[in-house]
Amino acid sequence: MRRLPSLLALLLLSLRGLASPYTPQADEEVLEQLPRRLAAVPRQGLALPQALGLAQAALQRARQEGDPRELGRAQALLAPWWHLPAPPPAVRLLRASLLQTQHQFDAALQDLDALLASAATPLALRAQAELTRAALLQLRGRWPEARSACTRLAGLSYAALGAAVEVHGRVCLAELDSLQGRNESAAAALAQLARYPQAPTAWTLLLRAELAERRGLAEAEALYRQALQAEPSIYTRAALADWLLARRRWAEAAALVLAHQSNQAELMRLPDALLLRLAIAWRAGGDARASEAAAQLQERFEATALRGDGSAHARERARYALDVRPDAGAALQQAIANWALQREPADAWLLWRAAQLPAAPKPLAAQARQAFEQFRRESGMQDARWSAAS
Amino acid sequence: MKRALMLWLLLLCAGAAQAHKASDAYLILEADATGLSERVDIALRDLDRELQLDADDNGQLSWGELRARAGEIDQLARQGLDMTLTDADGGRCVPQTLAPLQIETRSDGRYAVLQRRWQCRAPAQDLTLSYRLFAASDPTHRGVLSLRGPAGAAQTLVLAPDGHATPLRLGAAHSLLSVLRDGVHHIWIGLDHILFLLALLLPAVLVREENHWRPATRLRPVLLDVLGVVSAFTLAHSITLALAAFEILSPPSRWVESLIAASVLLAALNNLWPLLLHGRWRLTFAFGLVHGFGFASALRELGLRREALAGPLLMFNLGVELGQLAVVAGFMGLVWGLRRRPGYPRWVLGGGSLLIALLALVWLLERSLDLDLLSPR
Repeated sequence: MRRLPSLLALLLLSLRGLASPYTPQADEEVLEQLPRRLAAVPRQGLALPQALGLAQAALQRARQEGDPRELGRAQALLAPWWHLPAPPPAVRLLRASLLQTQHQFDAALQDLDALLASAATPLALRAQAELTRAALLQLRGRWPEARSACTRLAGLSYAALGAAVEVHGRVCLAELDSLQGRNESAAAALAQLARYPQAPTAWTLLLRAELAERRGLAEAEALYRQALQAEPSIYTRAALADWLLARRRWAEAAALVLAHQSNQAELMRLPDALLLRLAIAWRAGGDARASEAAAQLQERFEATALRGDGSAHARERARYALDVRPDAGAALQQAIANWALQREPADAWLLWRAAQLPAAPKPLAAQARQAFEQFRRESGMQDARWSAAS
Repeated sequence: MKRALMLWLLLLCAGAAQAHKASDAYLILEADATGLSERVDIALRDLDRELQLDADDNGQLSWGELRARAGEIDQLARQGLDMTLTDADGGRCVPQTLAPLQIETRSDGRYAVLQRRWQCRAPAQDLTLSYRLFAASDPTHRGVLSLRGPAGAAQTLVLAPDGHATPLRLGAAHSLLSVLRDGVHHIWIGLDHILFLLALLLPAVLVREENHWRPATRLRPVLLDVLGVVSAFTLAHSITLALAAFEILSPPSRWVESLIAASVLLAALNNLWPLLLHGRWRLTFAFGLVHGFGFASALRELGLRREALAGPLLMFNLGVELGQLAVVAGFMGLVWGLRRRPGYPRWVLGGGSLLIALLALVWLLERSLDLDLLSPR
């Protein structure tokens, strides 16, 4: 009963802006920029290898373009196997990646664990499952388990697959080192690994850039730019934008974000992560369109909440409440909720920032500070963004 | 396989970036006295994927390209959203022809707006929906349904494209009479409002003289006192009820509920240790303002439309007053009869007020600290 007013408010918000369907004036008026057209998902299911190939490509596009419809398409392609308790290993691996991307971490982990536990999983798939699992565990802050996985990858278990797997395992170990405060040795290891032909170029560059930023080194920017060039992903673009924002280079940050799409006038095609950076850059830089970007972002959060997966946005919502529409209570709430899901340096930074807010509600701020301090003690992480200040 | 491995490894850091709005369609159904208006908003990107609307294949969808295919779009929507609607007499409602296609701009792109009316002979009542839009091409797609019954009661549902039939009852129209009954009902089940009134009425049949209670001898001053108290309460809560109903003022409900509990506590304590004997209507007026905000939350739960609020607001308030009047009349009759009993001041006034005070204290603690001391309220 008491929750009803807030539900009603949400509903009213969702109905807001509905009063205005319109009829375009001319036939030539362009209404929508469309993504590359893909072959329709066939009504009669595809054979497994084709379905897998198309679904992998869809997942890859989702990552580059930020459109979750691609994830739905991948799932549709895998429909004949999707609901099986134990689908063929290749499907199961892809299902785990899709679930992870949709923030269904536990379900993803279940699939990965099952793949590693089964003797029927081919070695190459096992290696992929191991690496995906390591990344997931690292994201969740379960570092000892992630370390075992990376150690296995770098060791003899996968030697038959060649040097690439070993290099990935060592990159993964170096990243874990870097998270646990062994900054110098990790940076040296990553720089050395980057010279291997088998090294995953974009990933290694991104890790080096992030580490350089945590060490407070200016070389981070060049590394971010190289990483973005090697692989134009939204994640990397957003990370570089954050670097620029932290240096108050508002105009450059906005331009970088807008370079993601050809039609720079339309905000609605920007992925959330980029629209968020744009809203911050415009607000701080005093751009007239700042409130428009903020309103669109708010609307997307509300639409997502209406759909029932609001928690997937906790990281963005926390940042929004910190930098776009300052709201200490919301920032803390979201940063704490996000911390329960994700524990990467960016999440720790948000938690720390929210806890510093002068107007923060006391019990929440204390909770955030305690969680942060515990993490800092246990992890040993060093980050120039907060190490100096606290 | 190794090539695939290399490709995949790049996906590792994707998890963090992938928070974005997935494909949604919006269904807005509003029932009224003679039928229902249906509005379906579908993203143009989704429609193009399904129907290849971009005829010249230049990556841009123009209004002309879209308009030319309105019929197919409607067909797709009707296949994806299976609706049966019957009215209060069990008659089938009939869908009318599609209104001209329109466009809506939302935060994640433009949407085609399909609108049509369903004609019924009586108020629309039972709706069965089964949703399977884009089931084959995007199982993560959802339909976000907002539904308003004839009285304006709103609900929101998220529909997965699984084709399951969802039966929904639109509910009979809130007639003004039913809103009146709701008002009466609300005051009768609202123990805190009743106890506030009772605490004020308990001493009304007595007169305080030299620190002692004596039974009142004449009915007229008693009735005048009661009239003053009840009128002050009524006037005060009517003011805030209206302010809150029209969303001019909406204080946080935790404060309101806590203050209501505090008002009951103070009224009861004033009987045990009388501080304010004359002009109790002033205290009543002040606290009546708070109770009005409490009534407003009950009115809000009826989900009335703001533009049609005046009539129901009046009837709801009238219901509250009638319910209150019944309580006051019954109670005054009872205590007027009991006032000469020797035990009245101590046991009825004192004991009753003490019980009320204790209960109010528990409420106050519960509501202000968000605890749960008694059974769920």
